[in-house]
Amino acid sequence: MVDTQLRAPAETVHAEELARLAEKDDAPRPPGWQLSPRAVRRFVQGDDKLGITRKFYGDDPLVDRAIVSLMSHQGLMLVGEPGTAKSMLSELLAAAVSGRSTCSIQGTAGTTEDQIKYGWNYALLLAEGPSERALVPSPVLSAMREGRIVRFEEITRCPQEVQDALISILSEKTLAIPELGADRAVQARPGFNVIATANLRDRGVHEMSSALKRRFNFETVRPIEDPAFERELILKQLSERLGAAEVKVSGETEVVDLLVQTFQDLRTGRTREGVALNRPDAVMSTAEAVNVLHAAALDAAYLDDGRVTGRHVASQIQGVILKDSAEDGKRFKAYVDHIVKDRAGRSGPWRDFYQAARALKLV
Amino acid sequence: MAEIYDAARDLYVVPVRHHSPACAAHLAALIAAVGPAAILIEGPCDFDPLIPLLTDAGTVPPVAIVAVDDRKGEAGDRRVVSYFPFCAHSPEYIALCLAKAAGVPAAFIDLPMSHRAMRDDEDARAPEAVDEQRLNSNDYVRALCTRLGCRDGNEVWDHLFETQLHQTGWRAFFTGVATYCGHIRDCTDMARMEADGTLRRETQMRGLIREARGRTKGPIVAVVGGFHAPALLEGGDGKVVSAKAGRAYLVRYGHRQLNALTGYRAGLPLPAYYEGLWARRDRGADLYAGYAADLVTGFAAHVRDRLPGFSPSLPGIRSALENARRLAELRGRPGPLRDDVLDGCRSAFLKGEDSGDAAPVMSELMAFLTGSALGDVPPSAGSPPLVEAARSRARFLGFALDDGERRNRDLDIYRKDRHRDASRFLHAMTFLETGFAHRTAGPDFRVGVDLDRLHEIWSVAWSPGVEARLIELAADADTVEGAVAVAARRRLRDLEATGQGNNASAAIDLFITACQAGIAAEARRILPFIAAQVAGDSELRTVAQALRDLVQLWRNAPALGLDDRGDIETLLVGGWRRGLFLLPNIADFGDDRVSDALIGLVTLREVSELAAGQVAGVAQSDFDEAAIALLDAELNPALAGAVAAVAVLSGHADAAWLGTRLRGDLAGARVEPRDRVAFLRGVVTVSRELLWSVPDLVAAMDEVLDRAEGDDFIALLPHMRLALVGLDPRDIDRLARTVAERRGGDAARMTQAFAVTEAEMAANLALDRAVAARLAEAGLA
Repeated sequence: MVDTQLRAPAETVHAEELARLAEKDDAPRPPGWQLSPRAVRRFVQGDDKLGITRKFYGDDPLVDRAIVSLMSHQGLMLVGEPGTAKSMLSELLAAAVSGRSTCSIQGTAGTTEDQIKYGWNYALLLAEGPSERALVPSPVLSAMREGRIVRFEEITRCPQEVQDALISILSEKTLAIPELGADRAVQARPGFNVIATANLRDRGVHEMSSALKRRFNFETVRPIEDPAFERELILKQLSERLGAAEVKVSGETEVVDLLVQTFQDLRTGRTREGVALNRPDAVMSTAEAVNVLHAAALDAAYLDDGRVTGRHVASQIQGVILKDSAEDGKRFKAYVDHIVKDRAGRSGPWRDFYQAARALKLV
Repeated sequence: MAEIYDAARDLYVVPVRHHSPACAAHLAALIAAVGPAAILIEGPCDFDPLIPLLTDAGTVPPVAIVAVDDRKGEAGDRRVVSYFPFCAHSPEYIALCLAKAAGVPAAFIDLPMSHRAMRDDEDARAPEAVDEQRLNSNDYVRALCTRLGCRDGNEVWDHLFETQLHQTGWRAFFTGVATYCGHIRDCTDMARMEADGTLRRETQMRGLIREARGRTKGPIVAVVGGFHAPALLEGGDGKVVSAKAGRAYLVRYGHRQLNALTGYRAGLPLPAYYEGLWARRDRGADLYAGYAADLVTGFAAHVRDRLPGFSPSLPGIRSALENARRLAELRGRPGPLRDDVLDGCRSAFLKGEDSGDAAPVMSELMAFLTGSALGDVPPSAGSPPLVEAARSRARFLGFALDDGERRNRDLDIYRKDRHRDASRFLHAMTFLETGFAHRTAGPDFRVGVDLDRLHEIWSVAWSPGVEARLIELAADADTVEGAVAVAARRRLRDLEATGQGNNASAAIDLFITACQAGIAAEARRILPFIAAQVAGDSELRTVAQALRDLVQLWRNAPALGLDDRGDIETLLVGGWRRGLFLLPNIADFGDDRVSDALIGLVTLREVSELAAGQVAGVAQSDFDEAAIALLDAELNPALAGAVAAVAVLSGHADAAWLGTRLRGDLAGARVEPRDRVAFLRGVVTVSRELLWSVPDLVAAMDEVLDRAEGDDFIALLPHMRLALVGLDPRDIDRLARTVAERRGGDAARMTQAFAVTEAEMAANLALDRAVAARLAEAGLA
């Protein structure tokens, strides 16, 4: 069954590591937790001695704060630009703390309060009236009953009044079900908490109310600043993706430097040499960089001789740049005309990249 | 495990980190246990005469020894000044105090302050800065960071050593520090240590330890930066460089200056935090938790009236503390340390996407943990040369320094040399942000206002704040002019760092200020930067504005004390060419940049009028030609109006043509009425005199308005009004009279007030009341 899944949840993928951690875990566990906080930290940040791989790259103190927030009365809110692995971190934390990361709600413009509290099986409701049997619990309600972590993805995509359904759940840890009787309410068991992820800058997001904000500890996940780190991460993810499809390519290690540098330049609006440039509106995240390299690799493998060059990257990068605004095309063209051109004289991959990028229809 | 004791020499080499409370506490225990016969401290050996002053009962840390190198630098008069700070929890300070209490001799053992390896300037890196860098960015430290899950070397240090503050057992503690520092040393390149003078300093320390050994009976304790400890313990040859001439002063110092994050070269950052830790050293294992609680509640109270819109709630404070405690637990510490407290507050107090340490709450917290305390020195301590220089200069110029009273001073800057000197001094002190003086009136060469004033009026008051600021600046130079020169250079560097373009005006300001402060020669360094800014700027508006400032500057140069205006002229001509080069670009400007283009065009014309005929290379005809070339281009109507006005003013086109153009535009078939009036706006922006000197304009306006239908008229009216908004009452009068004459009416009669009879007014009031009543009835009032 698992073999045919396109993507398995974190607890399945890392089942062995979780088991090993649980076995070696002698530190005290907070009530309802499957692992001790230290073991959760090891699971996310890696531990060479136990053979646990690092899964979240970047800000270690942030992971510490996130774990501590989950132990507290507050919910945990991960915010930041798209593609900074917020959802991955929330999945890892849920998998480690509760042993299950699938208890989740995806916030959309169409999310309703039912999906956060509970709904009804209408056939049973009509036949029997409101009863425990007719009640359809939401992931939040299930998590409260079982004492687990529930993940709320992209919470700011929901309208504010729907988001606010969480307020009483977070502060009282209680969900009243008046339909089943005046004093019927579900009390959350220990181990229950909420990890929400949000994107505060995208188009089409809603503000969060101050009351809701107060009930969350916020952590801002940032893009990776260290180029070496980003390079390592991109290559690792590329080999995972290509390995799954059994695709073999060469030349990716030379091309990845170019890709990382381009992304970092465009992300920060300044090159490593200090030259200023216009930042595109498009999100230049690490995840997008992986997508570009993956597509370039597939291009090279299936349509070319299997050697990834700057040319393949250039033709794929267009799709990332030309997303949000037409201005971005001009900005990228200026980057190509000035900065890439300058670098083209110095190395092979940059030359290929320049020649192909110059030919793109950007404006 | 590393050793700290050499039995052969009966010598304890105690490795410390500057300003570490744990090191200070354990060092005190060590000294009590060992009972040394002499205590040696890392620090320039020619500071020895200051030890009595440093341990004086009147000295309250933080204080610092300021060393001034007497040698002339390559630039001729450059001073090299270095700071060696001490705070209440500095191991070195504790050791000196204990030596005094026990009556044993104490001495510094590093190279003299004037030695190249000790100098704090661009050629020679500050010695302690190098040490500190090693503690943070060494391979070993990085590996430890990864292993311990710490973010930086400071956290590693806290995690390993500050957590032992409450423990006893100095031997184990220092063995640990020695091991840690030994590994750092093992990961450091020998060639680098040679190059940065480390080895040279260690040779000196070994030599002075040997000399001390020779004259002392009993154990010796040498307190040195942990990095040097292995080299001193091993022994080896030592060669002593004796002290040369140089001056050193004990001065008051502040927590803010001490903070490594904002300038101080060595030691743990956030000194107020560590001072608080030090003060609680006797409270046992609970000290960390207790301190964290004090800090968080203290911060909440501190921040409440400081940050508008942020008031930490009780649950917020509790949650911050709980976070800090749990983080410490997770990270395996006896209680929350610095980073745990910071992290706890970050989780609890920051809501929304934060900008890291730059978020207001966090920077306030950092400032809180940095502290603002100032130390004190006994009256006998003397002050650094800059303070002395400023004081004697002020006294010489007749300013009162004995009280903090605010006084006014009237300076006749052109006719009296002494007043001119005083003005320069006050400008310099203002530029240095000492708060000594501020000018309430005087000629403003920047904007060109009040240039005919012969006097400046200043309000002056000497205060401890002035001295504190001068002490801060004492590192730069020891004369006021020198400090201004360094500050000007720094500001220029900041301007350079903020990128290309748009900085020309700021740089011109800087230049004028520097000239007023009396450092015209130094100020010339700024000119090439202005040239580069103008050359790199592609905005017509900013280039033209910079040019206007330059023309102002050129005209006022003699009053500023600049006799040679050649440089400024060269700049002007270069900028002028740049402006002319950019002018044709306005043809491609979109609607959103029209007003920028208009301002640029008008400013450039203003420059041509101001400078033409005076500055060789700036000719009005250049501008006129460039503008006229745009006549055929497809321009936004406002710009077309401006260009047309230039064409008429320069005699290229005649008045009738302008009238026809205006008529065509006003009566045009544009969607927006605004665009129909835009041409007129352009004309008026360039020269409103055209309104009466060219009768065709009024004729055109009059005809079009005459023919306009009701709705059309109402649509045009607000835009007409906007186009003419720049006119002053006299202009309006004049325009009205022109219109009236044209209409054959008598202007005087038209401005007459119309009389209203009493009955009419009563009727109107009644009507008004009736309408109000009806509105109220309908619920609309």
